[in-house]
Amino acid sequence: MPDIGSMLEIAQAKTTADGLKSIALGVGAGLGTIGPGIGVGYIFGKVIESVTRQPEMREEITSIQWLGFALTEAIVFYAFIFGLIAFFL
Amino acid sequence: MKTRTKALLAFGGLVVLAVIVNLLVPSEGKNEEFQPQNEFKLDPWIPLELGPFDMSINKAVLYLVLACALTSAAMLYIANRMQGRPNRVQTAVEAAYDLARNQISGSNMDSRMSLKWFPFVGTLFFFILFSNMIGYVPLPTNSEHTFSLFGLELPSFAIYAATANLSIPLMLTLMVWFAYHAEGVKAHGFVGYLKGWIPAGTPNRLKPVLFVIEVISQFVRIVSLSVRLFANILAGHLLILFMGGGLVVLLGLAALGVFTLPLAIIFFMFEIVLIAGLQAFIFATLTSIYLGAATAEGH
Repeated sequence: MPDIGSMLEIAQAKTTADGLKSIALGVGAGLGTIGPGIGVGYIFGKVIESVTRQPEMREEITSIQWLGFALTEAIVFYAFIFGLIAFFL
Repeated sequence: MKTRTKALLAFGGLVVLAVIVNLLVPSEGKNEEFQPQNEFKLDPWIPLELGPFDMSINKAVLYLVLACALTSAAMLYIANRMQGRPNRVQTAVEAAYDLARNQISGSNMDSRMSLKWFPFVGTLFFFILFSNMIGYVPLPTNSEHTFSLFGLELPSFAIYAATANLSIPLMLTLMVWFAYHAEGVKAHGFVGYLKGWIPAGTPNRLKPVLFVIEVISQFVRIVSLSVRLFANILAGHLLILFMGGGLVVLLGLAALGVFTLPLAIIFFMFEIVLIAGLQAFIFATLTSIYLGAATAEGH
């Protein structure tokens, strides 16, 4: 994978195919945020639910919550990175 | 005053400010000169090529050395002047050490493994944490643009993080990957370790399929572990770059800055408070989960 600098440099080429590709990259990365968005919301919703049910478990739930949050949130970037790879290869 | 009125007033104020700025600083049209990608370009400062390997000293190397030096110096400094009544810095470092020892390595590996691998996992945690954190401190590293101070040409201040470059997370990930496979082979023997990948009680017909899936997932771990760290930090820096002035300069539209600058400050705080620490925590936690799973008895 080339470094991000040269990748963005190619992104500035100005032909129709490249324009369509950039639109596709934008749409793809945008669609990729839907799933993780739902997931992150679900995690925090469940955390609130569990803490209100069992407030004494709060510490344990919080540490698991951040693990789940970071794992879910990273999926946005997988969509973005694979979009970039499809864009340049 | 109601919350809604306050929010509307604040938004109206921003719009008025944007109009005023637009009147004072008219649009300059698109700026073709500014190349935002150069923020992430690694200019070789001291070219050093050994055959096929490019070992030039550049921005990323500087950040790497800084992170190493800061990690070692901070830890040694605190360790050498431990006090019975800790001051605030010692308390914070002790809390982080405790987190790495009990939460990250202690709860994911058995006690023998935890004792053996805690130094590695703890070092990973602190190194990534410091590396992410100094990524948000502006340092004079931008050799493309310079400014003069008392007749001295200095590189402009810029932010960059060693972990916003794929090579460094990938190197850390490969270290982790080989380490946990080696531990697994040592604990169960080569064939035993490979057998351990297939869950117990699988029908014989399904075993080859499950094994192939498991092999693929082992390799996907390299991608997911490194890209998670790299892309999180890179996306944070891109957001800060574009919101904190990149868009304004590119479009030559000063009024836009009224809206993007507050966003940049919010993203900056979000990155420092949450993402920098969380990514270090996640990387170290997953490392110890992998190490623990590779050596666990029976699946």
